[in-house]
Amino acid sequence: MNKQLRLDQANMRGPPNSEVDRRAALKLFVSGAALALASCGRPAEQIVPYVEIPDGMTPGLPMRFASALPLAGYGRGVIVTSVEGRPIKVDGNPRHPASLGSTDVFAEATVLSLYDPDRSQAPYSGGRVQDWSAFEAALQPRLDKARARHGAGLALLTGRITSPTLIAQIEAFTKALPQVKWYRYEPSEDDAIRNGAILAFNRPATLLPRFADARVVLTLDADPLGAGPEQIRFARDITQARRTHVPDQSLRLYAVEPAWTLTGALADHRLALRPELVRNVAIEIARSLGASVPELKGPPEAEHFAKAAAADLTARQGGGLVLAGPRQPPEVHALCHWINNELSAPVDFIAPVDPLNIGGIASLKSFVADARAGAIETLMILGANPVYDAPGDLAIADCVAAVPFSAQLGLYRDETAARCTWHLPLTHVLEGWSDIRAFDGTASIVQPLIRPLYDSRTAHQIMALLSNATGPSSFDMVRGYWQQAGKHGGDFEDWWRQTLQDGVVADSAAAKISLPAPQMPEVAPVSGGENFTLAFAPDPSLFDGSFANNAWLQECPKPFTKQVWGNALHLAESDAQSLGVVDGDMVRLVAGKAVLEAPVLVRQGQASHTVATTLGYGRAGAGSLGTAVGFDVYRLRPSDSPWALADVSVSKIGGRQNLLLTQHFFELEGEAKDLQPRFALADLAKKPDLGLSKPGGNPATLYPPHDYDTYEWAMVIDTAACIGCNACVVACQAENNVPIVGPDEIAVGRDMHWLRIDDYVIGGKPGFSPVPCMHCEHAPCEPVCPVAASIHDSEGLNLQVYNRCVGTRFCQSNCPYKVRRFNFYGYADGEEYKSFGDDIVKAVFNPDVTVRGRGVMEKCTYCVQRISRARRAAEKDHRKIHDGEIVTACQAACPTRAIAFGDLSDANSRINALRAEPQAYALLGELGTRPRTTYLARLENPNPDFGKAQS
Amino acid sequence: MSLAAIRTEPTPPEAVRWTLPGARSLDAVNELVTAPLYERQLWSWKAWWLAAALSGALTAGFLVAVYVVFTRGIGVWGVNTSTVWGFAIADYVWWIGIGNAGTLISSMLLLMRQKWRASTNRFAEAMTLFAATIAGIFPIIHLGRPMYFYWLTPYPNTMTVWPQWRSALIWDFWAILSYILFSLIFWYVGLIPDLATMRDRARSKFAATAYGAFALGWRGSARHWQAYETLHLALACLGVPLVVSLHSVVGMDFAASLMPGWQETIFPPYFVVGAMYSGFAMVVCLAAMVRWGFRQEGLITIAHFDVMAKVMLMASIVMGLSYATEWFNAWYGGDRPDRSLVIFEFTGSYAPMFWALLFCNVIAPQAFWIAAVRRSVVAVFVVSILINIGMWLERILIVWNTLSHGYLPSMWRLFIPTVWDWLTTIGSLGLFVLMFLVFVRFIPAISMHEVRKLVDEEGS
Amino acid sequence: MTALLLAQFAESARFVEAARRAKSADYRLVDAFTPFPVQAVHELLDQRRSHIRVVMFIAGITTAALAYGLEYFSAVIDYPYNSGGRPLDAWPAFMLVPFATGILLAAIAGFATFLIECGLPRLHYALFAVEGFEHASQDQFILALEKPAGDGELQRALDFFRGAGAVAIREVDT
Repeated sequence: MNKQLRLDQANMRGPPNSEVDRRAALKLFVSGAALALASCGRPAEQIVPYVEIPDGMTPGLPMRFASALPLAGYGRGVIVTSVEGRPIKVDGNPRHPASLGSTDVFAEATVLSLYDPDRSQAPYSGGRVQDWSAFEAALQPRLDKARARHGAGLALLTGRITSPTLIAQIEAFTKALPQVKWYRYEPSEDDAIRNGAILAFNRPATLLPRFADARVVLTLDADPLGAGPEQIRFARDITQARRTHVPDQSLRLYAVEPAWTLTGALADHRLALRPELVRNVAIEIARSLGASVPELKGPPEAEHFAKAAAADLTARQGGGLVLAGPRQPPEVHALCHWINNELSAPVDFIAPVDPLNIGGIASLKSFVADARAGAIETLMILGANPVYDAPGDLAIADCVAAVPFSAQLGLYRDETAARCTWHLPLTHVLEGWSDIRAFDGTASIVQPLIRPLYDSRTAHQIMALLSNATGPSSFDMVRGYWQQAGKHGGDFEDWWRQTLQDGVVADSAAAKISLPAPQMPEVAPVSGGENFTLAFAPDPSLFDGSFANNAWLQECPKPFTKQVWGNALHLAESDAQSLGVVDGDMVRLVAGKAVLEAPVLVRQGQASHTVATTLGYGRAGAGSLGTAVGFDVYRLRPSDSPWALADVSVSKIGGRQNLLLTQHFFELEGEAKDLQPRFALADLAKKPDLGLSKPGGNPATLYPPHDYDTYEWAMVIDTAACIGCNACVVACQAENNVPIVGPDEIAVGRDMHWLRIDDYVIGGKPGFSPVPCMHCEHAPCEPVCPVAASIHDSEGLNLQVYNRCVGTRFCQSNCPYKVRRFNFYGYADGEEYKSFGDDIVKAVFNPDVTVRGRGVMEKCTYCVQRISRARRAAEKDHRKIHDGEIVTACQAACPTRAIAFGDLSDANSRINALRAEPQAYALLGELGTRPRTTYLARLENPNPDFGKAQS
Repeated sequence: MSLAAIRTEPTPPEAVRWTLPGARSLDAVNELVTAPLYERQLWSWKAWWLAAALSGALTAGFLVAVYVVFTRGIGVWGVNTSTVWGFAIADYVWWIGIGNAGTLISSMLLLMRQKWRASTNRFAEAMTLFAATIAGIFPIIHLGRPMYFYWLTPYPNTMTVWPQWRSALIWDFWAILSYILFSLIFWYVGLIPDLATMRDRARSKFAATAYGAFALGWRGSARHWQAYETLHLALACLGVPLVVSLHSVVGMDFAASLMPGWQETIFPPYFVVGAMYSGFAMVVCLAAMVRWGFRQEGLITIAHFDVMAKVMLMASIVMGLSYATEWFNAWYGGDRPDRSLVIFEFTGSYAPMFWALLFCNVIAPQAFWIAAVRRSVVAVFVVSILINIGMWLERILIVWNTLSHGYLPSMWRLFIPTVWDWLTTIGSLGLFVLMFLVFVRFIPAISMHEVRKLVDEEGS
Repeated sequence: MTALLLAQFAESARFVEAARRAKSADYRLVDAFTPFPVQAVHELLDQRRSHIRVVMFIAGITTAALAYGLEYFSAVIDYPYNSGGRPLDAWPAFMLVPFATGILLAAIAGFATFLIECGLPRLHYALFAVEGFEHASQDQFILALEKPAGDGELQRALDFFRGAGAVAIREVDT
């Protein structure tokens, strides 16, 4: 490679430092790695590995530590794998109620955020980097002044906090200084739910559905399967309740929603209604239960749907359950409480895990008021980014700027940092000690996996600083708290070690509370207005925007639209026609004074008069990858109803924007029916033969049979259980060093995901089929490779020998499933997208997996590195690998356990049982490729009386 | 005129003659062919220099494109995750197709005792040589890691692995290699007696030495001629099966796959005919050029164009039938992906190109039913150009349609060519023209000894 | 060596006729130099049969056999592996390489034999020096015969060929 070429590359893509030649790059990397490793030592304090005993780690042998990761302030228990002091992979913690051993996209992507080169690395003020002592010096006089006035003028602004230690610290602080103000809010707000409970029971309470006991569930604009702190747990419970093939025993799901959610996609019956009208269904249900409310008048499909659902709900005494979502007003939630009570629904109530007795929005409003009144002189913002993600109508930016002394503790020097007088680097969750509660109250200790990469602080340390308690480390504070609060009956050391090992604090879940009978709220049916309603939702990839600089998430195809690197305004087909717009056309959206110009995406099956979009884009200070991607809708967000903006007008304007999609360039229903068969449970019971091409049922061949004398690996994917959450996609990326390609490459039609999720729309209903490599026994890719880079191994794996590949791409041409991915550029090897190529990012690589260079083909390996690890372990103690001993990355991540992996040669293996299921099928099996990856067809449980009620 | 008149005036069929009176003596033949090389002052080389400059520029463009592809990687092309193949493969198939005609004309027509081949086979074989060489470049530059192309050859190596002989690409490799070397030998053998003539007509010592060296001391003795004829005939007999196998293999690159629109038993023969088709079209173009450039009306007559037009007419009908057979089988076979693909061909994103293809390859050549068209050099030339365009479209669409529209709709993606795609394609054309121009300037473009024989047989 | 008479003709017809009559008149025809093959005259000269075809056949067959052998050795014996469940010795797929390489080697062998049988390359040849010989590669036909012994014989020969229409007759000693 000569210099000119490198200049070309540098000009074309990748950061300027990709100009150095290979040798220099190596030097840089080594020194970079050395730097990283210097800080990559295990933390000073003793942290406790999950399985191995903690004394000394064996180099090269990965160690696994239990911890917990926050999402919207609630924890999900995880087990983080660390190699030579580098955390490289996140898995779920089976003992944690919000994980049950599975993960979501955000947990999987956390390791990448840790090594994000754009993270803030030092205190920053007055346009230059400062050091901590400077900040402390600047803060001290203000603290003294505030103390003199019992804390008056001193204020904290935080996100949702469930860390017992931190809460204790803050409470102690505010007790000492009663005048100190603590404001707290959360971008993914649930005030309506909380207020609904208060309305119904006169006290705050959190509803926990017991899906396991539910037979009929009706979601009203609720998305229990969607992204959020409960997603993993609810997904597991719901799909588990749907596993049985007995129609009456299986959970039947009704969904009413304005725009497609993962819940709506799984539902057996779905009704698209604009947000305002959803309440009408609730009212109709209540009426059928004897409530004295006016009868629902139209739209007919809504009436019919409500009647059918009501009948089904009431028929299952104790098995019916109604859930309303945060977009619905408190009275609807109260009404649902009343309905659930009438149905004696399978629900429990606990006291809110989030202890603050004031709603987030109310809290923010009081902050705005105080700030405007000049009552705030010193403001500490802990880990929040209100300037970006607070409702726009509060004009938070000005309020923050109005405060004379404001300091933000955050991972990035983001929008809020720009408005504060000080920015302070926050310690990453994988770097520092803390604790956190799950949505059900279960507490976990957050263990650091690595010494902080930069001179950063945790929120605990900042609170200590505020209360002049210098000295104690986060570790001391967390440990100290549990020494008092933990139920360790004297022997704390053992309890502490056990707790750290388990990753959960034993029986710390919130206790169930008994509540009075809910009151029937005042609620009347409404009819939608003429104008549009803009419905907000957390983004399935970026959630609330705090993950905007995470390349894995930016390039994670959204469940339905398959859009990456951006968001769009979703319009119903009918509205799109009347507006005369198609995908990518720009529209102007006007709400009062606010105006938004953005591209549209036309969505079949979305409620008319509804514009749906997601939060998290249009960041101004996310970092080099996430800044200025997509458009920001927080500024349109009304504080009074954070999830819906009524009375919006939409008009077409000239111009188009190229939406970056990874699928859906064509739609063909006829094709889809063969490729993603779907059956009703009833049919399954009736006819044993569903006319599917069965696993192993191969067309005749002239080739002599190949005798496999050892393990025969195979995978079964249950499309009935797949909710399309993408956890497997990102898990695969993290495990196998799969690079991202960046928006420009996506635009050309290139991508690198080894595992993709095909989304087929049949009869207007989307459905998901994860597609990894099929590892065909008669693989079409192998005989066409001229250099034997694509060959079969003795255990039936279809292998790609990277260093043998010359890049003819004949294998991908000839792959009916198109699961192979080609390095058109050095996506992971010198030609990375923007800062994704910085040396520190290389620390996230899995050392067991080769990093592929330019010009070679790659693909799913069934996580061959995990297979060989298991094989080594088995050979060490002279045994065969146990069934279920090998868990692929996608399988481990899947919240619904839709993916199974095992050995065909073992007659009793679970994999064989699954392949024998009546709904098992081989994708394109008729081609004679003999795929080792096979599927279980999508099963639905429609209400047999639904149609009747219609006629 | 009246029916009676027709009955009373039967036009006697005149024996076809492949030379004009002016060229019907041995010396006239020598003079006609060698004059451009020895009496340059008599000729205006403006056109030649112009063409050379133009094609030289394109060649430079080609080299730049190849450099960029080698250094930046094939990512500069429009290839993507589903449509992993693009122009490079189509160009390869197109060039190798053109590369077939030379050998076909020389050997097949020789075996069939077609006298008219005498004045065309020399430059037709040259064309073959150049086209095949260019074709050989594309499979290498299209590789993701071109520096390792030699891994396709069997040689003892530290990896102790061998080529994977089941791959059609390996067949390609050997077929092309054999074909290029074979064509070179075939062409050179036919050239030796003419080099001797050049030697003996040389005006300068240098020319005499240069041509003499390559003539290897040929003296046209009885022994020489006997050995010559034996070898030439034997090579011709081998050439036909080789050329047929070569393009069958190219067809098998696609047919030996699993993809809809590729996995078709008709491919090998249909590729061979397609190759002959585009090859003849290219020969016609070059013949017209040589004829016009060197005023060879005496040796390359209207009758030549007439007969070659007939060949192309036949080929166009066969092509039409082949297309129809594909469509019929897709429908008759009833497989969802095949049917869906044919519908996509006619109505999908590439449909305009597809219709253009049908016009160029099937409709336009039907004009050759009319004798007047066949006997108009301009008309035959224009149609030949159309055929060459049509055949290129056919090749690119074979690649695009199947890859853009495979088994799983979720992975259907279109191919959008980049400037580098175009530069590699157009540039290779320039390289070809440049090589041909150099050829006609230093080597007799028409086989003198064969035309002499022809003239001698036809008598004056 | 021997002394030759070179009778040079301008037209193929006369050349052939002259050669025939010379043969019947028991002149010792040695060789003929022509701008294109003249079968009729070649038949009058007793020539060894060419072995080109045989050599080509043997070379082709051997190469093909070797090529298949290499395929078989590498795919079945030396480095066997499962490629798409195909048999190790996938003979239908192995056919083409032997075919192509066989033809190539046949051609090369044929060319080599051609050179050997023609004694080429040989850039210097006595007759090249003879005036007018350059026409043999262009537009005239030269019949070479043994120079008859004795002046009388020679004179008769000269007359004979003049009568036969030779444009020039030369005596050369090689």
